[in-house]
Amino acid sequence: MLSSRAAVRGLQLFTWRSLSTSTCVQEAHGKEVATSSIDCSQPQYNDRLDTPLPDIPYVTEFNTEQSKLKEKEKGPWTQLTKEEKLALYRLSYRQTFAEMKKGSSEWKTVVGGLFFFLGFTGLVIWWQRVFVFGKPPHTLSEEWVAMQTQRMIDMRVNPISGFSSEWDYNTKQWKK
Amino acid sequence: MAHPSQLGFQDAASPVMEELLHFHDHTLMIVFLISTLVLYIIVAMVSTKLTNKYVLDSQEIEIVWTVLPAVILILIALPSLRILYLMDEINDPHLTIKAMGHQWYWSYEYTDYEDLGFDSYMIPTQDLSPGQFRLLETDHRMVVPMESPIRVLVSAEDVLHSWAVPALGIKMDAVPGRLNQTAFITSRPGVYYGQCSEICGANHSFMPIVVEAVPLEHFENWSSLMLEES
Repeated sequence: MLSSRAAVRGLQLFTWRSLSTSTCVQEAHGKEVATSSIDCSQPQYNDRLDTPLPDIPYVTEFNTEQSKLKEKEKGPWTQLTKEEKLALYRLSYRQTFAEMKKGSSEWKTVVGGLFFFLGFTGLVIWWQRVFVFGKPPHTLSEEWVAMQTQRMIDMRVNPISGFSSEWDYNTKQWKK
Repeated sequence: MAHPSQLGFQDAASPVMEELLHFHDHTLMIVFLISTLVLYIIVAMVSTKLTNKYVLDSQEIEIVWTVLPAVILILIALPSLRILYLMDEINDPHLTIKAMGHQWYWSYEYTDYEDLGFDSYMIPTQDLSPGQFRLLETDHRMVVPMESPIRVLVSAEDVLHSWAVPALGIKMDAVPGRLNQTAFITSRPGVYYGQCSEICGANHSFMPIVVEAVPLEHFENWSSLMLEES
């Protein structure tokens, strides 16, 4: 117990800041972590199929080139080239509907991992059958099972709707 | 006994077991209906591209999916309680047998008229006669007259055991220092197998129960023979 307390103290004093991944330590090292905190009192941009028109455009502060394009947008749109129209689209929206709907290839990783572990389990089971299991009991041999089945028929095991109800006692064979 | 890979119940050999079979059919049907409904709803929810963004409270469906499960539960509880009370009906047994659990065998005492008692050990696998059932056969069976009400008093001499015969719909814990009573009538002659149903040590899986229901004359002959033997 003393040694664990000393370990905790040592961790706190000497190694914690080098091991810690908490956000205050990250920001002290200059890493940008503020992106995960959003201000919900302000309108947000989103790429969602069920809200097709976001509250604000994707790019709100324009550089010189983008400002010139926005000015040109105020005129007749027939004078815009195809590239300019696409550039204007990309200023207002981050993804197209096609890009939103695309999905990822994650399922391939999941299915591949599933098959891998199934295969591994199969290997483990095969190994068990070879190296761990003993011989099956002699009552599972074909001759014994035949004698046992005949005995079950003779004893009228489950004669109402079960086992023996499927045996025709007149013709001495299983009912078709 | 069950045939290999059997999933369902064995055929009933007593009226109580028949009731249990029908109750199970009734309840399982309800379970299948509910499961089918839930599976359909899950598939419908997962496979749609539409999103409902405006779900707020909805009193009507909340009432439905509170009242309907309550009704379903009542529809399950009423038959269940009926069978429970049926099992506890006053009956007038023709015979009382004491089944005592030991580590690791059962002993049966027929003390109504004479002092008949014997042990019932499992037949080990290597000693089976051809065609006998592994882990189910015993050297002495509990023979009872068929179609007669039998009372069984179950107890134990050392640790907890449980006396169970599925074809008769019986399972009764064998508690040391306590007498538990159960009763049955066999509707047809036959041999009915069961296994100890409460963990009781190393050979818990190897102390089976065999009940043999025979016509009264056969039972009388058997009990005379057993008395002579002991």
